Amino acid sequence: MLTARALSLISKRAISTSVCVRAHGSVVKSEDYALPSYVDRRDYPLPDVAHVKQLSASQKALKEKEKADWSSLSRDEKVQLRRIQFNESFAEMNRSTNEWKTVVGLAMFFIGFTALVLIWEKHYVYGPIPHTFDCDWVAKQTK
Amino acid sequence: AYPSQLGLQDASSPIMEELMNFHDHTLMIVFLISSLVLYIITLMLTTKLTHTSTMDAQEVETIWTILPAVILILIALPSLRILYMMDEINNPALTVKTMGHQWYWSYEYTDYEDLCFDSYMVPTSDLKPGELRLLEVDNRVVLPMELPIRMLISSEDVLHSWAVPSLGLKTDAIPGRLNQATISSNRPGLFYGQCSEICGSNHSFMPIVLEMVPLKNFEDWSLSMI
Repeated sequence: MLTARALSLISKRAISTSVCVRAHGSVVKSEDYALPSYVDRRDYPLPDVAHVKQLSASQKALKEKEKADWSSLSRDEKVQLRRIQFNESFAEMNRSTNEWKTVVGLAMFFIGFTALVLIWEKHYVYGPIPHTFDCDWVAKQTK
Repeated sequence: AYPSQLGLQDASSPIMEELMNFHDHTLMIVFLISSLVLYIITLMLTTKLTHTSTMDAQEVETIWTILPAVILILIALPSLRILYMMDEINNPALTVKTMGHQWYWSYEYTDYEDLCFDSYMVPTSDLKPGELRLLEVDNRVVLPMELPIRMLISSEDVLHSWAVPSLGLKTDAIPGRLNQATISSNRPGLFYGQCSEICGSNHSFMPIVLEMVPLKNFEDWSLSMI
């Protein structure tokens, strides 16, 4: 909205997301971030909406069964009801990843590559070091 | 000095001793603050706890305003003390003048007779075994030790800076201006320094070497140089 207002100051044509979406509305879906949405967040345990909005026929039947005595629900049905409300469990959403291995690996790779570049540079670019670095010269210097 | 040295060179003048102690004091404060900040950062990055609501933090804001001000005062007071100490009256026994050129220093001892000479760096290929590369000069500045000496520093062309770290000296050599420094060495020996203001292609190759000797040796040397 802000973009539309800002750009309409510059040009007469209104160039905004809503216009583009309206043109391609048959194939593209855009989120309205102002509406309540579902989130899997450790610090927001009760999301504003359920995970599944449109219930299938079997899910609708299950919801009807839920209105009766719960002891008649099997374990799988209870899990299915939970999966309608929630996407990931806390254990699932808090799981650790192996991303760090990729990061450390890439870092070490590039450090190693840099080392190769420096070796090449020392051999092909730099001249000899001054003679004052010879062992006996340094021994005479260091009293 | 020694290879891979990290700290300041050993102090050879009273002012440099003061500066070393001040540096220890200030560096300790800096290390404490840095390690505290580093620790807090690691705490922030390694917690699963979150707090997303806006907060009011009057108490801690007061503390982290007052405490840095106190720390700064604790740094400023010794610093100013040393600054004023450098400008104390000290009745120099001798006045020497040095002029910076591109790319060498010239020295003038004109209190009694006219003794002037240039001091060029010894090229690496001409060094005698055991001499220090890029630091040795052909004519050293011989001075009497344990006496306050006035050094007047200026330049004949561009900006240079006359520096001898182990005596705590660094004074800019500015064309058209006379700057004064006081040299006072605790002990005899050779004290090396390098030009400390960029002055062209050979800025790194115009060192300074002070040879501090007993007064008798200094008198003999100056007689031999005239």
